Amino acid sequence: MHIPENYLSPVTCGVMGAAMLPVWTHSIKKVAKEMPKEKMPLLGVGAAFSFLSMMFNVPLIGGTTGHAVGGTLIALLFGPEASCIAVSIALLIQAVLFGDGGILALGANCFNMAFVLPFVGFYMYKLLMKLMGANSQEKSSAHYISAAIASYMGINVAALCASIEFGLQPMLFKDAAGNALYCPYDLSISIPGMMIPHLFVAGLVEAAFTVAVFAFVRKTSPDLIFENWTTDSVVDKPKRHFPVYALLAALIAACPLGLLATGMANGWSLDVLIPDYAVSGIGEVAGYIISAILGVAILVIVFKLASLPMKRKAD
Amino acid sequence: MQEKLPEWLKHSEDYTPVKTGGAFIEKSIASIGGVMTKIKLQNGHEKGRSLPALLKLFLAFGLIAFLSLTHEKMWILGVVSVIQLYLCMWPARDIATILKASLWATLLAFLLFLPAMIMNPSGISNDLQVILKVFTSLEIVSIFNHTTQWNHITGALRKLHIPGVFIFTLDITVKYIILLGNLIVDLLTAMRLRAVGKNRKEYQSIGGVMGVTFIRSTEMSREMYDAMRCRGFTDDYKGL
Amino acid sequence: MNCISLEQITFRYEPEEPAVFKDYDFQVEEGECLILRGDNGAGKTTLFKILNALVFPEKGSYQFFGTEITRSYMAKNQNSKSFHKRVGYLFQNADVMLFNAKVYDEIAFGPRQMGLSEEEVQIRVEDCMELLDISNLRDKAPYHLSGGQKKRVAIAAILALNPEVFIMDEPLNGLDQKTHERMVNLIRDLKAAGKTLVIATHDDEFAQDIGDRQVNLSFT
Repeated sequence: MHIPENYLSPVTCGVMGAAMLPVWTHSIKKVAKEMPKEKMPLLGVGAAFSFLSMMFNVPLIGGTTGHAVGGTLIALLFGPEASCIAVSIALLIQAVLFGDGGILALGANCFNMAFVLPFVGFYMYKLLMKLMGANSQEKSSAHYISAAIASYMGINVAALCASIEFGLQPMLFKDAAGNALYCPYDLSISIPGMMIPHLFVAGLVEAAFTVAVFAFVRKTSPDLIFENWTTDSVVDKPKRHFPVYALLAALIAACPLGLLATGMANGWSLDVLIPDYAVSGIGEVAGYIISAILGVAILVIVFKLASLPMKRKAD
Repeated sequence: MQEKLPEWLKHSEDYTPVKTGGAFIEKSIASIGGVMTKIKLQNGHEKGRSLPALLKLFLAFGLIAFLSLTHEKMWILGVVSVIQLYLCMWPARDIATILKASLWATLLAFLLFLPAMIMNPSGISNDLQVILKVFTSLEIVSIFNHTTQWNHITGALRKLHIPGVFIFTLDITVKYIILLGNLIVDLLTAMRLRAVGKNRKEYQSIGGVMGVTFIRSTEMSREMYDAMRCRGFTDDYKGL
Repeated sequence: MNCISLEQITFRYEPEEPAVFKDYDFQVEEGECLILRGDNGAGKTTLFKILNALVFPEKGSYQFFGTEITRSYMAKNQNSKSFHKRVGYLFQNADVMLFNAKVYDEIAFGPRQMGLSEEEVQIRVEDCMELLDISNLRDKAPYHLSGGQKKRVAIAAILALNPEVFIMDEPLNGLDQKTHERMVNLIRDLKAAGKTLVIATHDDEFAQDIGDRQVNLSFT
């Protein structure tokens, strides 16, 4: 679900990043206030755990494997706010160190995977536990079923957000000829394109992974789970309004900003390249120079790479 | 007091394993092992003796933002050729590292965009432009972290007056990716040695590996906090 | 017959690094108890990794009961499984060998993989727990045990697979007097049952007492 660079317009990236600011601020404040001081290093440890969860291969049918995101799991283990920070850091490191997910798209990726996923997953879990009644607390199966459904919902809502971000691109950002400048698929394609694999495959992987780890920790070290951290009401007073409002505000803000940007994009697109190589707008000399540099550089790279296998043999 | 060996243990037995199962163990070892090698080795080209990390950080970020913003062919091609020109001066092995990562993502992007290009041929030039940008942005990121050590990156962030607690957390994260990653690889290796047939409960085993890792990670963070306290840390995360 | 035979192997972790082994020969006969000595960093663990086919030498050959063990041989799922069934490996750090929620399941992991029925599995697990005196821990989480207990659970987990070759990295470290004695007796029994043993240890008395042969890993 990591959105790479340039699939989203820079404006969308900016809007999503701006939407994350209040979420991050809220999470940091909440964690600083409510997380026991000795658990602070746990944020970095949680980020490392989150990072590695995303690298872990989970078996699917017939010997194939897939990756889980683990957002709900982290939220169940560390609490939603701490997991928002931890997953954000994991995503930052993935983007910067491994090129997994764009750097500009970091805001959007954090929105989907560090905000929507863990918060939906966590509160879904709380809600389900409540719906199952007072005595469900005692039953392990109630916890596991709730965790499974919650993590399935979490990843699917996150995927839906990503698909909407994709799908809005061709509607908002077009060149003069009406062709998409970024992701070329509108909502009618991007939503089914993202949701079908998530509903039928990735969601199940996520649920299985979440329950497997959650069950193990509950069985062997229940005191380490966020719910059981402290007796006083860290969890009991759900300050749910804030993230929901933040989400709404962000979405509302996104619309006019996006529309505004369309005009700008159209303005720029006057000199957007045309397939013809005798490029209008580029001076011919500049064009030649660029082609020459590019040609020489690519040739050198190709020759160097071709020499690699020979060198190995010589060693 | 000594128990004697049971009969079954005294004799070798014939055993023919089933053919399938266990692929996730191998793949996870490979992907997590790969990540750690990349962080640990830091044997990249020019590491340490190139431009200051802060400058490189701005340069990389600036170029990526610029690429994303511009739609002018000349500017895009200009950036692309400058990057290739820089890259072509590198040793072949380093070039291969950079290109391998970038080309995979580019191929993926190409496949993703292919239906769109078929459905709407007039959009092809825009689609190719996006794919070219995907490729170049990834090259820039790869070049940046191939030439920059992680501690120089956090050092650069420190100069930007980013809160200490954030950088502290970033540093622990990278440190623990290696510690926990090693633990996961060891656990999976031990599991692989005993996974001599069909695992009826693969997901339970995964829960075990990641569960043990989580439990160990909380212990480690506890130990780390205690160690910090022992060295005079007074819960002042701002001063870090 | 040689059960393990390394011929002229060269191994290094990274292409640029110095070789851990260079043109090295190493043989173990079937039924032999071989003691491996060497300072920290001499390459014991690396050698064990090679013997367990976790890493592969860049040059030379590794024969296991006459079968050449190579990366491509081990890439076949079935080959690697039957190889690992025949070789039991006790990690120096027994901690990382434990990933189940209960001691019972930990020991049952191997036999269950082999497709034995639950009754057969139970017999094996009970026997192994008895042998290592850990029956009282059966429902405990392996992760929360003490160091010595963890080591015993790890050994029980390997025994349950009934391998032909045991490779043990410091099996006696961190054990109390009573457990130490029990472990030495167990190893002696395994040897008497004709199992092949390769053991790394710093315990001189034990090495003299039980080893057929000692190999010192101290070269560059």
